[in-house]
Amino acid sequence: MSGAFELAGMRQLPKEEPAQKEKWYKGKPIVAAVVLMLILWGCLCCNLIMTKDPVYMDLANCNVPPCKEFLFGTDTMGRDIFSMIWYGGRISLVIGIAAAFISTAVAIIFGAVSGSAPKWMDGLMMRLTDILISIPGLLAVVLIQAVLGRADILGLSFVIGITSWTAIAKVVRTETRRLRGSDYVTASKCMGGSFFHVLFHHLAPNFISSIMFMVVMNIRSAMIAEATLSFMGIGLPVGVISWGSMLSLAEQALLTNAWWTIVIPGVFLIVTLLCMTSIGNYMRKNANRRHSNL
Amino acid sequence: MSAEMGKEILLDVQHLSYHFPLTKKMEIKAVDDVSFKIRKREIFGLVGESGCGKSTLARCIMNVYKSKGGSIFYKGLNVCDAGTFRKNQKMLQTSRQMIFQDSDSSLNQRMKVCDIITEPLKIQHITPKRGSMRAEAEFQMYYVGLDAAYLDKYPGELSGGQRQRVAIARALAMEPELLVADEPIASLDVSIQAQIVNLFKHLQKEHGFSFLFIAHDLAMVEFLCDRVGVMYRGKLVEVAKAGDLFGNPRHPYTKALLSALPVPDPAIERARKRIEFDEKDFCCEGTLVEISPEHFVLKRGKEE
Repeated sequence: MSGAFELAGMRQLPKEEPAQKEKWYKGKPIVAAVVLMLILWGCLCCNLIMTKDPVYMDLANCNVPPCKEFLFGTDTMGRDIFSMIWYGGRISLVIGIAAAFISTAVAIIFGAVSGSAPKWMDGLMMRLTDILISIPGLLAVVLIQAVLGRADILGLSFVIGITSWTAIAKVVRTETRRLRGSDYVTASKCMGGSFFHVLFHHLAPNFISSIMFMVVMNIRSAMIAEATLSFMGIGLPVGVISWGSMLSLAEQALLTNAWWTIVIPGVFLIVTLLCMTSIGNYMRKNANRRHSNL
Repeated sequence: MSAEMGKEILLDVQHLSYHFPLTKKMEIKAVDDVSFKIRKREIFGLVGESGCGKSTLARCIMNVYKSKGGSIFYKGLNVCDAGTFRKNQKMLQTSRQMIFQDSDSSLNQRMKVCDIITEPLKIQHITPKRGSMRAEAEFQMYYVGLDAAYLDKYPGELSGGQRQRVAIARALAMEPELLVADEPIASLDVSIQAQIVNLFKHLQKEHGFSFLFIAHDLAMVEFLCDRVGVMYRGKLVEVAKAGDLFGNPRHPYTKALLSALPVPDPAIERARKRIEFDEKDFCCEGTLVEISPEHFVLKRGKEE
């Protein structure tokens, strides 16, 4: 026995291996983000990667299947699909983002006003939203589109945006109602904070995480709406290239057996939407987790 | 001391009432026909049991609640009148500030301490006296005894006492003339309480602040306040100078309230008898009567 002695009943704990450092990319939608970035970059810098003029109709080369010269083939009018994808993607994305922006802006203003209004006003505004929700989205878009009568990029994003704000407005309204009685909002009003000051400094930081995923999903559904409308022939005219209007050539393609004219824009649309969905889902999970930690 | 104090009246509350509706027929009289005055450079204390309407009164004065009757004159302006309020909005919003009871909910959890303290300056577009917003916030933090290292923290990272001091610093940033403090020191530990109370005294003497100081701690009120009002069930039952009120309470409720105060002397404390106050004795009808100079007691009209 040396100077050291053993304590009776002391349990020796096995030395634990230091826990493996969690990989930074764990649980994050890296693939989706990278693919989305690639598509976005491709669309923004389409001038650099386009091999042909996307609007030029090369009638000598109609319905050419994918080959070395025409990477994704050509459509019935002889336009190069590879160039059209990048060129038209811009318009699809612009419509998606613009529509989501319009709908979010309308939703935040409407929801915040409704949330801070007196009870009867709030009831009235919420019943109005209920009525709008009960109308099928596409039907409303078609109706307003018919009334406006013009189908350009801005008009279409306006129509899509103005019909898709209701869900976000409900969330914003609920959050506003929860927060408007809290002391810091009262304090801010005592100091002379205006409605918009309170909205942007006190309310928005609190509800932004809960509506962020809805905004991303709104970009997605706006792109779907644009594609659907264009496919049905009431969206952008065939002359304006977007993924939706490219899909609207599908009928002719089916007759000529040219699968690439549908599949390629379809694949691009679906891949973009899937990426957005997975990023949106990640945002939703993250927001929920942060809420539970508070 | 009261002689050198200006007789000028800063805040004049006249017959103020506020009711919370419960149902269509029933309502709670949170504040019922309350009248009092706060002079310039004066600390007016307001005491009373929980739920007697102290906070509601404070919120009425700050125009958070719209009063249902009576009027509030601030610097001679009737702030209950919507038109007058709107015309003088900026002056009213800069020269009156409020400190809230619950520091947890009176600070936005998603703002940094620095932004919280300078928020009133940003709202009113005031150029900070000390160069930058950050320097201004640092100065106010120093005033309430907080280290500048806390400027970049979020309220959630601070303790309750530190949060309350941030709330006080925010109110002081505007250098208001009237500070409505709704139990500002209830959540602080005793040493910080002393520090904050001394800060209030300093502000009153050196900078001419006026206070409406709402508190539970009667000893603190006796030490800090020039005049004290006692509230019970929405009524102001007694108003007097602090020494007068604590030395010679006249209303039975005030007597009962003061008798509940523990004395830091075991011999006296053991012998201390609580005076019970029977709710049935309390008459809702009555007016404040001046029984001696500056000593008002609520009395039934007919008895006089």
